[in-house]
This record gives sequence, structure tokens and C-alpha cells, in this order.
Amino acid sequence: MDFSSFNSAEQAHMTKIIEKKQMQDFLKLYANITEKCFITCCNDFTSKALSSKEESCVANCAEKFIKHSERVGARFAEANADQAGGSQ
Amino acid sequence: MSFLGGRSNANTGSVNYDKIDMAVTELDTVTDFFNRMVSSCYNKCIGAKYPADGDLNKGESVCIDKCVAKYNDVQKKVGEKLQSRGAAAPAQNQSAFGSL
Repeated sequence: MDFSSFNSAEQAHMTKIIEKKQMQDFLKLYANITEKCFITCCNDFTSKALSSKEESCVANCAEKFIKHSERVGARFAEANADQAGGSQ
Repeated sequence: MSFLGGRSNANTGSVNYDKIDMAVTELDTVTDFFNRMVSSCYNKCIGAKYPADGDLNKGESVCIDKCVAKYNDVQKKVGEKLQSRGAAAPAQNQSAFGSL
């Protein structure tokens, strides 16, 4: 995305929009991880409280998802850079 | 020209909202694409299996790299297909909203 043709008022506007979207994105990520890790880890409903096994599962699952997301982001950025470099 | 010294408003120029709209649309598109890619590759490479630990093992890492490459490829191919269909048959009955 090329913001070089934007004047400073437009850039300030875009910065505010981007900040808001980043916050919304983070909240979506939070909800997403919660759902996925719940589905993976919580399959025994004989008790209300999380067992220690389920707790460690959730911790591992969340960490794994975040690492996965970071890796995808890194590959995605590389692919974008390649494409931008190749077309110029 | 400013003999008062300094500027009361740091933002110069007016805002072209059409340009902003297009930039926001592009940003939304890319964000959505990325989120779908993360979700799809998670389902394909890691899935709902019980995590042994919090790290990605070698198999998962390699799978993710390949998954991202394929996802990008699929996007390109689908884009080409849509473009070629769009060029061949002008949008007569394509819109769900009908026409004026």
C-alpha cells in the first residue's frame, strides 16, 4: 500500500483509521484464539472448573496460535516484498 | 509567510475522502485476506489436535510456509479467472442488487 501521494492531513487521518483497525483486529484475534483453544482443549464437561490439564492445554494452544500467526505474517510480508520488488 | 512563528495546525492540505475510502478498502481487503490465511493454514497444518507444547514443531513450520505460498497462488489464480470471466461476459445478471 502506497501512502506517498497522501498529504499530511490525509496521512494523519489514515493513521487514526489504522490505529482503530489494529485495535479491532487485536480484539478479533483474542476472540478467535479463545474459540479455537476452547474447541481443542475443553471436551470434558463433568466439572465447571478447568482442570490443570485443560489449563496447560489452553496455554500451549494460545502460544502455538500466536507463533503460527507470526510465522504466517513473516511469510506473507516476504511474499509481498518479492511481488513489490518483482513488479518494479 | 507565517510571522507568528510555529504552526497552529500541523496538518496541511485538505483531505480527499475518495482517496481515503479507496485506501481503507484496500487495507480492509488485505487484512481480511491475511486473517483468512491465518485461519485456513491453522486448520490445515495444526488443526484441533492436542498441543504437546507451545512451540511449532518442524512439520508444522514447514507446512505453514507451504500453506502461505499456496494460498497466495490460489488468490492469484482466482483473480485471473474472475478477470477473464469479467472480460468475456460483461456483467449482465451478475449483481445481486439488480440494475437501475
